Amino acid sequence: MIVTRSRLQKIGWAAILTVCFAMLVALTFRVNAVKSEVRLIERKLVSVQQQKELLKTEFQTRASQRKLTALNDFEFGFKAPTPGQYLESERQLASLGKARAADAPAPIMVASAAREEESSFPTLVNPLSGRAEASEAKPEKPRRIATTAGNLGARLSQVSASKRDTIRE
Amino acid sequence: MTAVAISTQKSSGRMQLVNVRQRMLHIAKWRLLLVAAGFGALAVASTARLAYLGVDGDAPAALSMAEALRPPRAEITDRNGVPLARALPTFALWFDARPMDGDPALVKSPQELARELMQIFPDENYDNLVSVLSAGKSAYIRHRVLPEEADKVQALGEAALQFPKEEERFYPQGTMAAFVLGYVDRNGNGLIGMEQVLDARLKDPAMRGQPVALSIDARVQGALEDELAKQIAASNAKGGGGIVLDVETGEVLAFASGPSFDPNRPSVLDANGEGLMHNVMTGQNYELGSVFKPLTVAAAIDAGLITDIARRWPAGSQMVIAGRPVHDHKSYGASLTVPEALIHSSNIVLAQIGEALGPQALSANLKSLGFFEKPYLELPGRRNPQLPREWSNITTTRVAFGHGISLTPLHLASAYAAMVNGGIWRPATLMKIAPDKAPQGRRVFKASTSARMRQLLRLIVSIGTGRKADAAGYRVGGKTGTAEIADEFGYHKDRVVSTFAAAFPMDAPRYVVVTTMVEPKATAATSGQRTAGYTAAPVIGKLIPRIGPLLGVMPDDGRDIDLTDLAPLVASGDGE
Repeated sequence: MIVTRSRLQKIGWAAILTVCFAMLVALTFRVNAVKSEVRLIERKLVSVQQQKELLKTEFQTRASQRKLTALNDFEFGFKAPTPGQYLESERQLASLGKARAADAPAPIMVASAAREEESSFPTLVNPLSGRAEASEAKPEKPRRIATTAGNLGARLSQVSASKRDTIRE
Repeated sequence: MTAVAISTQKSSGRMQLVNVRQRMLHIAKWRLLLVAAGFGALAVASTARLAYLGVDGDAPAALSMAEALRPPRAEITDRNGVPLARALPTFALWFDARPMDGDPALVKSPQELARELMQIFPDENYDNLVSVLSAGKSAYIRHRVLPEEADKVQALGEAALQFPKEEERFYPQGTMAAFVLGYVDRNGNGLIGMEQVLDARLKDPAMRGQPVALSIDARVQGALEDELAKQIAASNAKGGGGIVLDVETGEVLAFASGPSFDPNRPSVLDANGEGLMHNVMTGQNYELGSVFKPLTVAAAIDAGLITDIARRWPAGSQMVIAGRPVHDHKSYGASLTVPEALIHSSNIVLAQIGEALGPQALSANLKSLGFFEKPYLELPGRRNPQLPREWSNITTTRVAFGHGISLTPLHLASAYAAMVNGGIWRPATLMKIAPDKAPQGRRVFKASTSARMRQLLRLIVSIGTGRKADAAGYRVGGKTGTAEIADEFGYHKDRVVSTFAAAFPMDAPRYVVVTTMVEPKATAATSGQRTAGYTAAPVIGKLIPRIGPLLGVMPDDGRDIDLTDLAPLVASGDGE
């Protein structure tokens, strides 16, 4: 049987195609195997995550406020800290253990309410609208910010500055 | 002839046999072929299926991880992210009473099994277990079974005891903030508290992955409930409640009422819940008595009636005002200044101020404080206030010292916040508010009135009836109030409600704290008194040192509000 060149070529192409197809199928199988492995691991992750949540819940239950209070009260005898345990500034720290001078003023800093300054001038009235020009509303006072590690320095310096004015040395 | 005939018969019989055999063989071949074809088809189908799975094998129930981990109901947390309510996957214990192959469902006797179950669940009731197991009906024996308990039950070897999976609502903090949270019933519906208010939001598939943050601070809530419970026990009170409110935003940091309930036991609550769920802070009106007096004074200062704080008002032990006699606890002198009237809690002076102020001005002020409507809060079941039927001169003089008007303690907390924060009233809320999103509120008092009231409230705590609330270094200000409980039979002398409304620190108020004790008794722990100064004020005196530092208010003995202009006007003394 004589095999012509073109026939040989056809067989060759068919063989290459078959091999490619076989490889493709094998690759697809492999990809899907990996995919299902991933899915399996994902399922395991979910289950571990759920166990973690369960454990978290258990920890939260064991560390509930009520139990912590009971521990603090009966086991350790902790009490809320007193003002003496807080120091606001370096000056306060330095004054610890120092006897008060004979003519020293009372060591209490008082905050007076800022009185509304009443102007002696009558309010200007807009001749067109008939309404007072000056707005009644005053800008709100800035809220006192809680002390954190970040702003502690700023707060201390501010307090010591104000104390400097009130405390005579 | 006969022989031939016989042989013919024989040969035809053989022929027939051969035919039959051939036919049988033919049929057998066909059958074999059919079976082979069947197997062949099966093999082809299997291979095709395998190939399909190999090429395009996405399982139909492939969920994303986020989807799988999304709880069936969103978590509720406090303002700092501490979980207050979360989903908990658990098992239930289900008794399947259907007979197995004609035999009874249980191998052991119900009594024996109940005894064994009692060893695993000591809190169960033996008689109940026996009746469930012998009733012949399928039923739940128990909800919320832990995995290790389920293992033990499995080891009993009863196939009729099964463990369906359940998604339960769990409150890790137990009874804490029960009135704020409410609970979830067996059908998955939120009831009572924020579980009911936020029910749709918590169930929404799009949002239930995100927790909902409340304004509550778990640490503050824990401290408030602890101190309240101690005081309820010490004063042998029927109940009590408390609230901590941020004066600048209206956020409620703690909200407690006692006796409380356990939201982790919905079956108990479903059965007899109503009796356990009496909310002192929003669910009941009380004539709050003397705590009302600072509000009247604030209204009078604001209206320009009290321009001179040093003015002396006639006093005594009894006086006829608006045609009716008004009594004081005792006579504190022939005349009193406003600071003295508040320190001694004089009904007579306040009645005069009320009379001078007039029904219109006072009622308009109370209306702007939100006293004419239900208190503002998300919780369901809030009480409407009970107002005087008509605002006559007599009712005005009574309302001026806190009688003839019934409010919830929450009304009072919001009003005190407005009185000390510079005069802006804001609705109270249980939802966390972003730092710059506080509601604008409405102006009720002038800022100058508010400043004066801070001084007066601080004065009451430092030298008046509220001394037991004076937590050292926290500059506490406030007012006591003890009122007899009134119902359709009139006032009861033996039953009182004592209230203390406080704010701290008075030099720059941040928080309002209101505590209410319902029917406290005079006990040794309350120094034989049942007035607010001995029953409600001590809660605040002990609570503020616990919560102050947590909320960024540091105690300082070296600071206070300036009382120098009021000090000369006061001769110290006692009152209620």
